[in-house]
Amino acid sequence: MAETAQIKFRLDDRELAVPPGTLVIEVARQQGIEIPSFCYYPGLALQAACRMCLVEVEKAPKLQTACTLVAVNGMVVRTNTPQVHEARKSMLEFLLANHPLDCPVCDKGGECELQDMTFRYGADRSRFAEEKLHVPEVRWSNVVYYDAPRCILCFRCVRVCDEGMDVKALGVGQRGAHSVIIPNRDGYLECVECGMCIDICPVGALTSGTYRYQTRPWEMQYVPTVCPHCSNGCKTTLSVRNHEILRANNRDLSGYNGDFLCAKGRFAFDFTRQPERLNQPLIRLGGRLEPTSWQEALQTVASRLATIRKQNGPDAIAFYGSNRTTNEENYLLGRIARASVGTNNVDHHRTADYAGLMALAATLAGSDSTSGGSTHSGSGRIFATMRDLESALALLLISNDATEQSPLVAWQIRTAIRHHRARLYILDSREQQLHRKAQDFVLFSRGQEAAAIARLSASGSGTVDASERDLDRRVRALRDALAGENDLIVLFGAAVQGAALARLGEFARERAALGKRTRFMALGDYANSRGAADMGLLPDLLPGYAPIANPAARQFFGELWGATLSEKAGLDSRVMLSAAAAGRLKALYVVGANPAKKTNFVGSKRMGMLDLLVVQDLYLSETARLADIVLPALSGFEKSGTMTNTAGEVQLVCKGGDFMGARSDFDILRIISFQLAQQGLGEPIRLRTPDAAFEEISRQVPGYGVSWTGLLSGAAEATRPNPASANGHGFAEAAEGVIFSSNDSLFTSGSLTPYCRMIRSLREAGATL
Amino acid sequence: MLEQKFQVLIRRYPIKRSALVPMALYAQDVFGYVSEDLISEIANRLDLSPLHVNETLAYYSMIRRKPVGKYHVQVCTNVSCMLCGGNEVYDFVQKKLEIGNKQVTADGLFSLEEVECIGACTGAPAMQVNYDFYENLTERRTDDLLDALDMGSRPATSMPTSGSVHARHSAEAPVISRLFGVPDSHKLDVYLQHDGYKGLERALKQLTSDQVIEEVKKSNLRGCGGAGFPTGAKWGFVPKESAKPKYILCNADESEPGTCKDRPLMEMVPHQLIEGVVIAGRAVGAHRGYIYIRGEYRYVLEIVDAAIEEAYAHGYLGQNIMGSGFDFDLATHTGAGAYECGEESALMESLEGKRGYPRIRPPFPAVVGLYGSPTVINNVETLSAVPSILHRGGEWYSGLGSPKNGGTRLFCISGHVNRPGIYELPMGFNLRRMIEEVAGGIRGGRRLKAVIPGGSSCPLLKAEEIDLPMDFDSLAKAGSMLGSGGLVVIDEGTCMVDLARRIMHFYAHESCGWCIPCREGTDWLRKMLDRFHSGGGRREDIALIGELSKNMLGRTFCPLGDAAALPTMSIVKKWPDEFEKHLAGMCPYQPAEMLTATRA
Repeated sequence: MAETAQIKFRLDDRELAVPPGTLVIEVARQQGIEIPSFCYYPGLALQAACRMCLVEVEKAPKLQTACTLVAVNGMVVRTNTPQVHEARKSMLEFLLANHPLDCPVCDKGGECELQDMTFRYGADRSRFAEEKLHVPEVRWSNVVYYDAPRCILCFRCVRVCDEGMDVKALGVGQRGAHSVIIPNRDGYLECVECGMCIDICPVGALTSGTYRYQTRPWEMQYVPTVCPHCSNGCKTTLSVRNHEILRANNRDLSGYNGDFLCAKGRFAFDFTRQPERLNQPLIRLGGRLEPTSWQEALQTVASRLATIRKQNGPDAIAFYGSNRTTNEENYLLGRIARASVGTNNVDHHRTADYAGLMALAATLAGSDSTSGGSTHSGSGRIFATMRDLESALALLLISNDATEQSPLVAWQIRTAIRHHRARLYILDSREQQLHRKAQDFVLFSRGQEAAAIARLSASGSGTVDASERDLDRRVRALRDALAGENDLIVLFGAAVQGAALARLGEFARERAALGKRTRFMALGDYANSRGAADMGLLPDLLPGYAPIANPAARQFFGELWGATLSEKAGLDSRVMLSAAAAGRLKALYVVGANPAKKTNFVGSKRMGMLDLLVVQDLYLSETARLADIVLPALSGFEKSGTMTNTAGEVQLVCKGGDFMGARSDFDILRIISFQLAQQGLGEPIRLRTPDAAFEEISRQVPGYGVSWTGLLSGAAEATRPNPASANGHGFAEAAEGVIFSSNDSLFTSGSLTPYCRMIRSLREAGATL
Repeated sequence: MLEQKFQVLIRRYPIKRSALVPMALYAQDVFGYVSEDLISEIANRLDLSPLHVNETLAYYSMIRRKPVGKYHVQVCTNVSCMLCGGNEVYDFVQKKLEIGNKQVTADGLFSLEEVECIGACTGAPAMQVNYDFYENLTERRTDDLLDALDMGSRPATSMPTSGSVHARHSAEAPVISRLFGVPDSHKLDVYLQHDGYKGLERALKQLTSDQVIEEVKKSNLRGCGGAGFPTGAKWGFVPKESAKPKYILCNADESEPGTCKDRPLMEMVPHQLIEGVVIAGRAVGAHRGYIYIRGEYRYVLEIVDAAIEEAYAHGYLGQNIMGSGFDFDLATHTGAGAYECGEESALMESLEGKRGYPRIRPPFPAVVGLYGSPTVINNVETLSAVPSILHRGGEWYSGLGSPKNGGTRLFCISGHVNRPGIYELPMGFNLRRMIEEVAGGIRGGRRLKAVIPGGSSCPLLKAEEIDLPMDFDSLAKAGSMLGSGGLVVIDEGTCMVDLARRIMHFYAHESCGWCIPCREGTDWLRKMLDRFHSGGGRREDIALIGELSKNMLGRTFCPLGDAAALPTMSIVKKWPDEFEKHLAGMCPYQPAEMLTATRA
């Protein structure tokens, strides 16, 4: 903004220039001048209800609320006068009049905004001699409890539920001093149980069913890490006491998710502590899985793999990776498969066509003359970040129920709509909550993705057969609306793959030719779905999407890993399982995945054809039950490393809890590599720590040269995949049925669902939109 | 019948939600209370979630979630009634019916509720049975009344408002009240015989909209709701061009204790108000208006509705009014028991079907008001003065009053006077003469102690402070306010601590709860004054009462906090000795047994 357009005013002793329309409370915060407030909350509607932010304005007869005070030229504001101090003190005195002062037993004690403000600005004695109003505490749901006497009626909860979540489950009952917050059903809540209201509550009025009366805040350590559930990569803060996670919330506020966490991010940490959790390796003896030592288990794995390789060749062995393990672990697994064992039989459950997106980007980078081929900076940037969504002007969401499957994405979209009237367009085969926020939406039949997307392009509506005439008509208005959007972010789910994704590329190229910008985000299912693909857990692609068919790429990673890599593309996840059934595959090594559940893999039959099934997991999953050797693994909350969100942004995962008896997948794989080396298979992996492994990744994997400093300071670092360098690989279409979504809801998390007991109880209690 | 009402209500507003509160109240009239089923039904019809219906209704004190008796007896004990024996009436009803506050007799015939000011101050003590007003009550009259109801008859109600029709005092200058007492004055033909709609005719046919505003500016008419803002200037703030439709709102949510002037104005001269509203519409280019009438004034609302229908039938409302080409539509809207909704922005929220919380200003209603549109909002009395101003000229009207305080005011004189009543006097009329001459002096030959000059939110005046002209500027100079023109006269036998206590009860009951200082301050002071008056006071409480009031003053979201603080501060300051006397452990004015039960 030009200097001349700035508003000049005085705040205490500072002469300031700010853009027109700026609120004094915001300026003060940026300047490090504290103006206390309860009801003011950035991003939510203004209330001016708590009257804590009263400031003196020269020539104004009364004190003014800084939260509604817009800076104007020549204004003189004072925040540090006896009158202001006195006003704050008296507001707190009023607030405490009916407040129960049960701080010693209140969950919030120690991290309460009312306590802090009273400490800083309050009176040193109480003058209140009357009886306080009292009503009993109410349990609104398994996770939300409301204690009305503690409530200071700042209405943050009501607003975050309405404006932020678009759920509108909270309101205000009664009047005057008897006012209370009320839930949407008669005495209980029927909502998405996100718990936003609990985190945003400045006092102990709203408390968490998973945390209440467990501990005191000062007895815990706080670990900011990444939520291990969906692919959106929200930052969650773990509250840990004696290695045990007692709470996950969003106190840290450092992530791109800002205030947001969904029910899983907040309440689904209990999967780390269920009684069925595996705490020692198991080996099949006489048809039964029996406990064994780590040494025995790991040696057995290595020697049996070596035997099978010797007898049946490397391609008789396959590796099935995870959507939840770290980038480092995935990188290690790929290396073991390709370098130690010598097979490209490596894949995972793919939940979005990231490889297809790279191919699409490669064609766009070539077509967009203004970008100079760069995909990651300036106007030519092709990949949208999570923060980009919040400031987006227009969004096209295809085949993903974001509210259920990508809750942060949905939150960002709602924020964009609320804060600057972004326009949302939806193209899907299912109804979803975001429809009510959408400018336009088109529902099509399942499987019509490619046909529908093709119609977005001017070139796409050539021949129309009868069955698609109706679709044609419905997409037309959407196409016209999109033509008016100069800056569009396209988000798409698993169903947009292969041919459908190629059509999307045509749409984007047409737009580029008209000078219109298009950015993309593929929406996968799990915490490191993107990382698994990026690290090359794919039968035809090496880390960074370099085709295995490319000799240079093979040579590069072969030299790095001390082996000659096979040029033969491996089996994809589906073929792996049928090959196992057909007896062509002898050994399957599964890390943090449960193919027996997710596919039609009829476990007992097909696994029975394998000579060796190894499973690394937290629990005895459907797959693990069939295994010959089960290795108990640590969860994402119990290890360090990095994960990459679905938008391709890397974040640090920090060890919060611990679990005796289990080991990280990183350690297990590293030891396996040593054991295999002893059997004469490949070089041992000498990367001792996840840090060391990430250092190698950041140097060697295209796109991963991100700022280490940024990661350490808690930022999300966007990777810079450079599709142009992917050696011109086009659409290597995944086979039918290889890429599919689990269609998780807000209350499921794949195979972890049975062990997320609180979340399950919410679903069973009928939590709903 | 109810179905028909629902249909009419849903069509009445540009936004369906506006029909919420009226629908609930009319349904309650039929079913006795608002059930969960009814909430779902209303939610369905208005496309709202039951939560939003529920939270909105929870705000309004007339909305009941449990059944009451066939006869719901609502006894007012607010200031004017309290001074005239309202508490005694309430106690009598309690004893006779053998039920307490908000209880129902075993046979379901009667229920009792102690209520805040119902706008019958010049007929105090008063009660409402369902929507019927009964005024000037005595124990005997109350006894007969309850017996009659028990026998199934419906005794004649008090209408018009007690004290509105009386022999004119020579000092009176009847302008807006000139038809008070004229038979059938609420009917169009009678109104027309008394210069009715002549102001409108001039405004429509002879003047431009700017000239209409100019005429009102010349009149020095100032808002009679309480704030005294110059009406012409207010109209002038409305933008000429607006993409959105503009609105005229009439604030008929008369609830300021001691005030009962809008009630007779509407029940006796509704066409004068309608004419005033249409003129305001003409002045600012608005074509739609609403009269927001407090829920307790149901019979008044019905009179206004009938007048509106008459006006439509005769071309004073609707399309092409008086052949001028100007269109204007007008409807009433019922409140449901909330003093705060008399605050202009809270009234708009309420009219939009929400909890009556005040709005952040700026933007001001003239620019962003009802439904986000430019809106003029004026009190009944203000709008009722407009037809005469347009008919007889702004200068004529201005000349009736004192400088910068044009015209006349309706003064409601209640409390300890011989002739309580509603008198139309020139602005600037001497307060002492008003009490001694117009209202016949203090009852029973007692001495005057205090005067509330303009509704219970004004600082009180001592007996020796009353030699002053009753206009906005003179009262401000004397440290008080002209307010709503509701004078409450208090004699030497009144306990000022009890008075402060009762006033605070009102504001605590009516605080909307939005902002901390008002919500908590009024509740704290209410409890403290209760304790203090019943003999539990501590010396430090006296200063604390004043200090807590001061801490609310000027710091609350809307003026309700000031309204609670100002009278309280004035009582502590002007009658400290009365507080001192209570430190002995009892109220010096009332026998000890009176204090055992703490009442509202």
